[in-house]
Amino acid sequence: MNIIAIFISPLIALITGMFFLGISRKIMARLQWRYGPPVIQPVIDVIRSFSQMSISHGSLFDFGIILSLTGSFVLTLFLPIGELCPLTSGGLLVILYLMLLGPFGLALSGAAAANPNSSIGISRKFLLSLAYEVPLLLVLLAVMTRYNTISLVEIVKIQASTGWAFGSWTLVLSGIAYFLILPAILGVRPFEVIKASQEISSGPIAEFGGKHLAFSTLQHALHMFVGLALFVDIFLGGWTLFGLLDFLSGTVWVVVLGIVIFLLKMLVVLVIGIFINAVYPRYRIEQAMNYLLKWPTLISFIGLIIVVLVK
Amino acid sequence: MSLELLLIIAFGSAFLTYFLGKISKRIRDVFAVIISLSIAVIIAFFYNNSFIEILNIGFLDLPLILRINTFSWFFAITISIVGMLSIIFSLEYIKEKERTDFYYLMMLLINASMIGIVFSGDLLSFCIFWEIMSWSTFLLISYNRGAAISAGMKYIIMSLAGSIAMLIGILSLYSHYGTLIIEELSGSLAFASSTYTLFIFILFFIAFGIKNAVWPFHTWLPPAHSEAPSPFSAVLSGILVRMGMYGFLIIFYGIAGMNLFLNLGKGIIKFNYILAWIGAINIVIPTFIAMLQNDSKRLLAWHGVGQGGYMVLGIATGTSLGVAGGIFHIVNHTSYIALLFLVVGVIEYRTRGIRDLNSLGGLVKKMPVTFLGALVGACGLIGIPLTNGFVSKWLIYKTLILNQHPFLAFAALLGTWGTILSLFKFLHNIFLGQLPEKYKNIKKAPFSMQFPLLILSLIIILFGVLPGIPLEIINNIGISFGLESLNVNIWGIASETGTLNTINIFAAILAVGVIVWLIFNGARQTTKVDQYDNYAAGSAIPEGKYNYTVSFYRPLDRMIRPYLKDFVDEFYLKLSEWTQIICDSVRRIYTGYVGNYVMYIVLFMAFLILIQLKWSVF
Repeated sequence: MNIIAIFISPLIALITGMFFLGISRKIMARLQWRYGPPVIQPVIDVIRSFSQMSISHGSLFDFGIILSLTGSFVLTLFLPIGELCPLTSGGLLVILYLMLLGPFGLALSGAAAANPNSSIGISRKFLLSLAYEVPLLLVLLAVMTRYNTISLVEIVKIQASTGWAFGSWTLVLSGIAYFLILPAILGVRPFEVIKASQEISSGPIAEFGGKHLAFSTLQHALHMFVGLALFVDIFLGGWTLFGLLDFLSGTVWVVVLGIVIFLLKMLVVLVIGIFINAVYPRYRIEQAMNYLLKWPTLISFIGLIIVVLVK
Repeated sequence: MSLELLLIIAFGSAFLTYFLGKISKRIRDVFAVIISLSIAVIIAFFYNNSFIEILNIGFLDLPLILRINTFSWFFAITISIVGMLSIIFSLEYIKEKERTDFYYLMMLLINASMIGIVFSGDLLSFCIFWEIMSWSTFLLISYNRGAAISAGMKYIIMSLAGSIAMLIGILSLYSHYGTLIIEELSGSLAFASSTYTLFIFILFFIAFGIKNAVWPFHTWLPPAHSEAPSPFSAVLSGILVRMGMYGFLIIFYGIAGMNLFLNLGKGIIKFNYILAWIGAINIVIPTFIAMLQNDSKRLLAWHGVGQGGYMVLGIATGTSLGVAGGIFHIVNHTSYIALLFLVVGVIEYRTRGIRDLNSLGGLVKKMPVTFLGALVGACGLIGIPLTNGFVSKWLIYKTLILNQHPFLAFAALLGTWGTILSLFKFLHNIFLGQLPEKYKNIKKAPFSMQFPLLILSLIIILFGVLPGIPLEIINNIGISFGLESLNVNIWGIASETGTLNTINIFAAILAVGVIVWLIFNGARQTTKVDQYDNYAAGSAIPEGKYNYTVSFYRPLDRMIRPYLKDFVDEFYLKLSEWTQIICDSVRRIYTGYVGNYVMYIVLFMAFLILIQLKWSVF
């Protein structure tokens, strides 16, 4: 089971992430009264990028992007996708740290490119991540304190028996805070300051072409998957669906259906998120930071206080 | 070999090195390296030994006691290894400077005194070695003269205040219990009143807190670290400052004992809880101040303050997991902060003293090994998985979360995310971006400088992948403090509430990394281009100006700078100003005229007579 999961989890994550990239572009286009590219356009782009001529700025430029993609793939092994979770060592704290590797690798690679546009993008990336990390940490601490565990698998299991965290009054504020920072985690509008292609020519990936660009797209897709999967796992009960799958328990179908339900939940969250965010223009970096450190932080802080008081 | 002989060798060789330097510089260098290496080897052979040596020198009728156990061995081996590596690093670094004999004397003397501190079995010899360490540190901090003198002054004044607090504490203990031997004192406080215990705790908190740069006693550290010679900064920030942690552990767990330490106070206002909050403040504020620094050594120095907070937080929790995390963090901090200071030393050496982060850049292509050291050190300081910093931080976070202290855990985690920002700025502004024209012909570091960097990097990764090696020893230390035993394995820590298996993470990252690397190499090959073949929106690259380093985090800088005033430092400076004004006005009565002095005497006599007539007290 675990051996199969090791191979399947990253694949599911990659395919879903690429699909999400495509579908978000499509929905965005339709909202803006355009036809939009086909859903598999990102896949086509990646495949074509691999065969294109490209440049390299030295071994750190290559190493960074390899580290970035590696980090993102490893992360998917630690996330419960449906009932699949090949590695559990260290729990949510390890996940939190592994989430660093992707951006860190990309930052090393971008900075090694010796382009100020990249450096500006990276500086914005770190600033934005600090700003959303503050509410995110408060949210995760609220969840870990409420369920008194640091294991993500355990959190999903508890929700299977007591109902979704989003539905419980103690954690609903934390859930709302997570939903508010989700676009910043995913780097979509209105928080696309990092790649702001009109002002800093795609930021960290300004110098990327060919396989570097392909790798960074894959990393972005995986990152999108991880951000959504974490939300579904923590607040929407992972693969559970109000006990509807109970009659199948013990069979392999529960695993397969669990994954399907899990992915559908992610899709719903993504689509709602896009609907809300597609109409906003891009924030400047300080506006984004002000917003993130104001409302989501306040809500998640109150959420954590509620959890502590209930305990 | 006896401990007495070891200390005699350590101290004697320090002075011998000085005199050898008068004969030949080369012999002196070789001797210094050999002696620091052999001290490390001798201490390594003491592993798992535990004995006491009593020397009746007859000083104040108190015996001088040397002892060794797992706890002191653990610190001693760290001290000797860092000392040895910094001596090796110094060979090239200090060559061109003056007063080199003095430099080596002081380096070896400080090492010897630190070894003396951890091996002393009574508080008197502890105090003696502590003082030797304090003033020799002062002499090395102000080695560079100029701004270093005032940094050294700041250090020695605060250090003296700490020493006085310690002396009062020691005298008080002696007058109460009639002994200064740590083994005999342990447990004796259990029968004392809680006011007296608090008095002792506060005195020693001031004494060791100043050395450990715990907020609000941290103000001496940033200038001292940035002005000291870099190899010494590595020792200073790595282990010398952490002697304060050793003192905390001795007082709170060794002498007072765990029960007393955890139960002092009422309700929520408990001593260890307040200590934990001081640790939390100590993490967050210095880390964010570090983000605003433009001097590479000052940036690291503020992190030195910040990381101390994790250790205090760890030992203040009082659980075996937390204390293990705190103690493990001490040795981890030693490895990566020493590494980073040595990296800065290389940069300083090659660029002739440039520490300004705004004027460097692109050095990765010229100094790959140094960059590797910086990268590993930065990862360790951030606590990225597979470095040792991750394991100790994980232990501390887990303790805090499962013991229902989410706000303390939040402070600790927030500190980590602040660390990422400032450390990336450090890496970026020195090594990445465009290489300025003036550094085009810069040479890579000499081997004697690369060697310590490589060894320290290796230690960081080794302890990150196989944390069981040090945790085994730390677990024994915890048991000797009366804490519960942990289920330590070579790959980490197992428990029902969450297992950490670093081999698992290592294998996953390695396997996935190899696959990704193979795909990367299998794809179409790239052409190598230099830094001027770069995107500039169609225009030519402006040489030397195509870099983004100044105010790397400007929006954040604007946002947080108003809140990050170091008001403690301002208070101390005001205090010294007031003292000066008062002393100045007192000085004015000494006018130099005999007539005035006669007047003072007459007035004083009149005053005494008045008192006698009125109340007849004499």
